[in-house]
Amino acid sequence: MDFDFSDDQEQLRDAVRKWVDKGYTFERRRAAVAAGGFDRAAWSELAELGLTALTVPEQHDGMGQGAIDAMVVAEELGRGIVLEPIAQSFVASSVLSHYAPAAMQSAWLPRVASGEALVVLAHQERKARYRLDVCEAKAAAAQSAHTINATKSVVPVGDRADAFIVPAQLDGKIALFLVERTASGVTTQGYVTQDGSRAAELQLVNTPATLITTDGLAALELAVDTGIAATCAEAVGVMDKAVSTTVDYMNQRKQFGVVIASFQALRHRVADMKMQLELARSMSYYASLKLGAPAAERRAAMARAKVQLGQSMRFVGQQAVQLHGGIGVTDEYIVSHYFKKLTQLEMTFGDTLHHLGEVSARMQDTAGVFA
Amino acid sequence: MDLAFTPEEQAFREEVRTWVHANLPAEISHKVHNALRLTRDDMQGWAKILGKKGWLAFGWPQEFGGPGWTAVQKHLFEEECALAGAPRIIPFGPVMVAPVIMAFGNAEQQKRFLPGIASGEVWWSQGYSEPGSGSDLASVKTRAERVGDKYIVNGQKTWTTLGQHGDWMFNLVRTSNEGKPQTGISFLLVDMKSPGVTVRPIKLLDGECEVNEVFFDNVEVPAENLIGEENKGWTYAKHLLSHERTNIADVNRSKRELERLKRIAKTEGMWDDSRLRDQIALLEVDIVALEMMVLRVLSAEKTGKNSLDIAGLLKIKGSEIQQRYAELMMLAAGPFALPFIEEAMEAGWQGNFPGGATANAPLASTYFNLRKTTIYGGSNEVQRNIVAQTVLG
Repeated sequence: MDFDFSDDQEQLRDAVRKWVDKGYTFERRRAAVAAGGFDRAAWSELAELGLTALTVPEQHDGMGQGAIDAMVVAEELGRGIVLEPIAQSFVASSVLSHYAPAAMQSAWLPRVASGEALVVLAHQERKARYRLDVCEAKAAAAQSAHTINATKSVVPVGDRADAFIVPAQLDGKIALFLVERTASGVTTQGYVTQDGSRAAELQLVNTPATLITTDGLAALELAVDTGIAATCAEAVGVMDKAVSTTVDYMNQRKQFGVVIASFQALRHRVADMKMQLELARSMSYYASLKLGAPAAERRAAMARAKVQLGQSMRFVGQQAVQLHGGIGVTDEYIVSHYFKKLTQLEMTFGDTLHHLGEVSARMQDTAGVFA
Repeated sequence: MDLAFTPEEQAFREEVRTWVHANLPAEISHKVHNALRLTRDDMQGWAKILGKKGWLAFGWPQEFGGPGWTAVQKHLFEEECALAGAPRIIPFGPVMVAPVIMAFGNAEQQKRFLPGIASGEVWWSQGYSEPGSGSDLASVKTRAERVGDKYIVNGQKTWTTLGQHGDWMFNLVRTSNEGKPQTGISFLLVDMKSPGVTVRPIKLLDGECEVNEVFFDNVEVPAENLIGEENKGWTYAKHLLSHERTNIADVNRSKRELERLKRIAKTEGMWDDSRLRDQIALLEVDIVALEMMVLRVLSAEKTGKNSLDIAGLLKIKGSEIQQRYAELMMLAAGPFALPFIEEAMEAGWQGNFPGGATANAPLASTYFNLRKTTIYGGSNEVQRNIVAQTVLG
């Protein structure tokens, strides 16, 4: 039982933090949002830092690092409310390296690692909401390959990505496919989401696709769980900044002749924010530490983590705005952007209600020993 | 970063588990698992069993006869005891006053008091709060006046937990009115059988007498019972508080009570009621999160890296969780939590509880009783002040 980071992990943290502080200013981010919510140049910089290669196995030109390294990176990018979706590269690397045939791994993983190929998960459907076992997309075998007909929603950077990981029904069960954006029958309708990042509606009509695995639900669950762990870590980074920004403000802002940090009603609110932040950090560690556990244990852990993170994000985001007063609800000031990012992260890979249902359904008779 | 305990720690856990199961009397664990009344003999009986094994002093260093366990070992020991249904170790002797005697008492005092604490023979009580001194502890007024080789003590302590059973009592007393309130306080040990000591139990909202008022009327206390220096007692008291650490979160006991809550929900036919079940699920998440926070603190203690100043958070969250499980147990039982039949809280009661649900008898009492958790040990509002101080300056 040990919660210390290794020296390598501390160095990784420093490197990413330095890039965020110097290379990813609020102004740059604002310009990226105005330009559509995704900056390929910033993505390339993340790749140069080695972050897209971080969890890709070494035999495919990756760094072969684990869940805790990924957590450190996601947390630091969260501190900068970075728009570019590093979580998707962790997801793609995890799914492809665990489930894809060898040829596909050799063809795609090195390109994922280099940042050349941005591969994203395209799983959400209108009727499924956050459920993973509900899927209307249909795949059919066609000569040596497959074709897919599907509509997938809120696909991260959907109209700028290079390929999609797509679940679809094949012979009565969910299978997972790789679809290239340039393939025939692909249409995307891109838009900016509430946090300023980019997503798209994705339509596939008789689109050629390559099978990743027929064990699609298990693979999709691993993909989403990898995403949940990264989302939790990213949220911790955002919350950490939201709290420290609020604390700085409260120690400067004067009303009634004194700094507002002197008012007990507000001080107790900050104590409650700190509580939510530390509970969230604890459960983010828990999520990443459980990412390698057997599927049932892993799924239960992610649901628990997301319930805690969801509650924490909502509270910290709302209170960061509240304690800033009027400036907190302006677009000009950064705290509203923290709030919106937290709101979106709560609703990514399953919101609090969804995961509360998961925890409730999976609850065991006994409390047992959780750790 | 790693969640697993080391093989040595796991072996240690097994050793403790095996020993506790072999030595914890079944009638006592039955009472604990069902929140039935514990007698003084139940509590002290278990203390003496632990004492004989050398484990009542589980937090002590070896030089004072303790096992010299690491922070993780202490945590595992407490967890195994809690999950097995052992009564809570009454902390006033082994956990609270003993570290003060070790750190600030003289050799004579250590020889005189520590063996009785370690064996469980001597029951200690805490004399901190007064009618006018709750959260503001430095305002204590109970006076100790030095006359020759004695102190003459006059005043009143209150909220003295289980003081009706006490043999000895450690007290914060005022020996000077000079300077700041903190500077005139001394740490004095009082034999509760001394003439002039009167203990009056206070009946609480659950009908039980868990706490007491203790009156001192010209009580003569030998000067050799003063710990350390006169007027330095506040420093010693703070040292004592620093020893409450992670166990203040009480996460192990909450894990056990979560199991009990699930049993009650099933008995009451509420296990499949999604409204209650979702609340239990939220509590389960809370308990996992608290456990992770406790483990983070233990890890920081173990390695000395990433030190965490979140003791206040542990107390706040731990106490809120205790209140929540008690509340949910009440809600699970619904109207069958309402009959107040005191005899039904005794083990072996054979009467007819309304609805036949005898297990519900102590639920309301527990719920009412646990309101104390957000008040004692520094109220949660005081804890929030402390947390805010560390965050905001």
